[in-house]
Amino acid sequence: MNSQPMAIRGIGVVGGFGSGLHALEAALRGELPSPGQVAFSNDGREVVLPAFLADTEPLAEFLPKKALRRIDHYSRLALLGASQALADAGREDFDLERMGVVVASGYGATRTTFAFLDSVIDDGDRCASPTHFSNSVHNAAVAHISILLGITGPSLTVSQFEMSVPSALLSAATWLAEGRVDAVLFGGIDEYCDVLGYCWNHFFGSGDGGPIRPLELQRQSAILAEGAAFFVLTRADGAPSRYGTVQGIDIGHQSGQNLPVADDALLLLGVDGHRRCGSLYPRQIPAQADVVSYSPLYGSLPVGPAFDMAIGALIRAGGEIYPAPVGADDGCSGRVVRLPEAVAGRPLACLKCSGAGEVSIINLGE
Amino acid sequence: MTTLAPVAVTGVGCLSAAGLDFPSCMAALFSGQRQPLPPESFTSTHPVRYPVFEVAVEFPEQRGVGKPDVLRTSRLALVAAAEALADAGLERDQLRGLRVGVCTGTTVGSAMNNELFYRQFKRGERPPIDPIVKFLNSNPAASIAREYGLNGPCQTVVNACSSGTDAIGLAASWIRAGICDIALAGGADELCRVTYNGFISLLITDEEPCRPFDRDRKGLNLGAGAAVLVLESEAVRKGRQKKARARVLGYGSASDGYHLTAPRPDGAGLKRAIAEALAASGTSAADIAFVNAHGTATPDNDRTESQVLSEVLPGVPFVSTKGYTGHTLGAAGAIEAAFTIGCLEQGRIPANIGCTTPDPAFPAAPVLVETPVGGSVALSESLAFGGNNAVVILGRDA
Repeated sequence: MNSQPMAIRGIGVVGGFGSGLHALEAALRGELPSPGQVAFSNDGREVVLPAFLADTEPLAEFLPKKALRRIDHYSRLALLGASQALADAGREDFDLERMGVVVASGYGATRTTFAFLDSVIDDGDRCASPTHFSNSVHNAAVAHISILLGITGPSLTVSQFEMSVPSALLSAATWLAEGRVDAVLFGGIDEYCDVLGYCWNHFFGSGDGGPIRPLELQRQSAILAEGAAFFVLTRADGAPSRYGTVQGIDIGHQSGQNLPVADDALLLLGVDGHRRCGSLYPRQIPAQADVVSYSPLYGSLPVGPAFDMAIGALIRAGGEIYPAPVGADDGCSGRVVRLPEAVAGRPLACLKCSGAGEVSIINLGE
Repeated sequence: MTTLAPVAVTGVGCLSAAGLDFPSCMAALFSGQRQPLPPESFTSTHPVRYPVFEVAVEFPEQRGVGKPDVLRTSRLALVAAAEALADAGLERDQLRGLRVGVCTGTTVGSAMNNELFYRQFKRGERPPIDPIVKFLNSNPAASIAREYGLNGPCQTVVNACSSGTDAIGLAASWIRAGICDIALAGGADELCRVTYNGFISLLITDEEPCRPFDRDRKGLNLGAGAAVLVLESEAVRKGRQKKARARVLGYGSASDGYHLTAPRPDGAGLKRAIAEALAASGTSAADIAFVNAHGTATPDNDRTESQVLSEVLPGVPFVSTKGYTGHTLGAAGAIEAAFTIGCLEQGRIPANIGCTTPDPAFPAAPVLVETPVGGSVALSESLAFGGNNAVVILGRDA
């Protein structure tokens, strides 16, 4: 499969660990974030779940509050991640008419989707909310980015559950390779809503409160999460990029051949505490590989690979592999990185296996 | 931008209210008949029963390829994919030996919005989880990939009303880049109460059958349907000596950066999308035989399109086919790309049904009667919520 290499020029992140690269770096250096809680009433009882929630208040640093009045949480997550990534990359260096926007989301703007249904259920079909309806479409976040940040190149929103990020990244790479754009603002977003909480509780129960133990593959320890991770990507034209490059994207299925992984690659596993998915990883991990998982920092959400990509870029920028935040392992192939190590020129690869049997690898180079 | 290599279309599948397969749809376009009706698959409490273009409610189960364990949107997509693959002469076994990708546009098919489930949840009950499981099994692109055991890239495009056009353009790029040998590209969407209530709430739905570009147009009618094109690399196509039915010559898209639901009045985004598609295809305005316009029949959309077409493609005949199908949202671009191919093959375009008096304020008007067209290249365009504009240029071998 693969694609042309892309340079990572800027990054923006928001999640349960906080807002911005400094917050993510602090978590990587040992300040393991504690999940908050979500609660909803169901069947006469209050259900309480641990959750990594994201605060979009820092968006005020980038956009006037007046401009955000009618913009929902989902799009605010996107705007915050996108604004950070653009600032990090140096917005003034880019022709925004030649910049594309590509967004991946597992579930889209779920809160607003159900807020629209609230308007119908509470007040009748004739009182359906046009504001909620127009903001509930999956590409609303891209639209707000385009309008408020002035980016008028092509836009794309992809929804492929856990494969949303690698799938969308593949299209970002083809846009750059074909010369359609000079840069792509690429991001993954997912938000929490109570319906997701209900479904989570049905499928997985309320859990033990954390932390996620991703490398104990037979243990259900996932904690639901929301957040956004954005990147400014350009063609890798030989100019140095402090965050390194995306060398290629491979997507396949467990029923097919294993995806290619460099022998000396460090694998950032997208395993996030889901037993069903965890059991699919060993087959994809070469026996001699070094592995690590950072999901205890950002939680379990469909666009998790975007956070792994951000962490991979930080590893490249800092030259050091952050040790696995929760190190115990059980049934995980490969050698778990438990102490800081120099990354040197080693390739990095973000591996994701979905419960539906899909597999993806995002290869990160120097 | 440099000219890109054409990508062969070797199979077409399509279903809509106009017909349950591609030949039936094409026949309906030239019959001049349409029959939008109040929705049969759901009820509402609006005082007016707004007409819709529904695919027969019991379909696609009748066809035997629609699996009951997935949402109707995916079942529609599966029917279109089966027809497209049959048209391309591709059997399941042949696909397994190739890198086959799926790129599908949708809106409803990716929305977790089961109303009955949510009503129960909102009342504090414990609704059965089945609708959620069904939703999770129903990603349109993944449903097609799963049905045929495909392991190429899989992408569900949720660019609102331009999704189908974008899916075709993106899949063509995959073929050019060697990412896959074959791509099933298109779009699918079902009718549901959410979109029905939503578009009515925006005051852009007509109580009568829609009237694209007409002076008295009031808005759109929703529709359901799906279309899938089989895109194929030259190596595979030549290897099996399959004639191309058409070619994807170019694709362009651009954002308005203007408004969430209204197109930019000066059409700047649409103009850039058309310019990109022309450049990518190596064609010029003079090469375009006709345009399949987005033509939703909303006041704003039709005004912008008429203005842009008069400036960028002056004198080129254009038609909106939504008068025959309704606005099928994420499927619209794919269905209209299929119609564009069919019209190129037949050398004619249908009358822009619903338009009897073109808006006199518009600088350009659609064809009001069936019109013969020469040339071998045509353009189909889509304008979406969120301000995305997408254009695909299709050609037929001389």
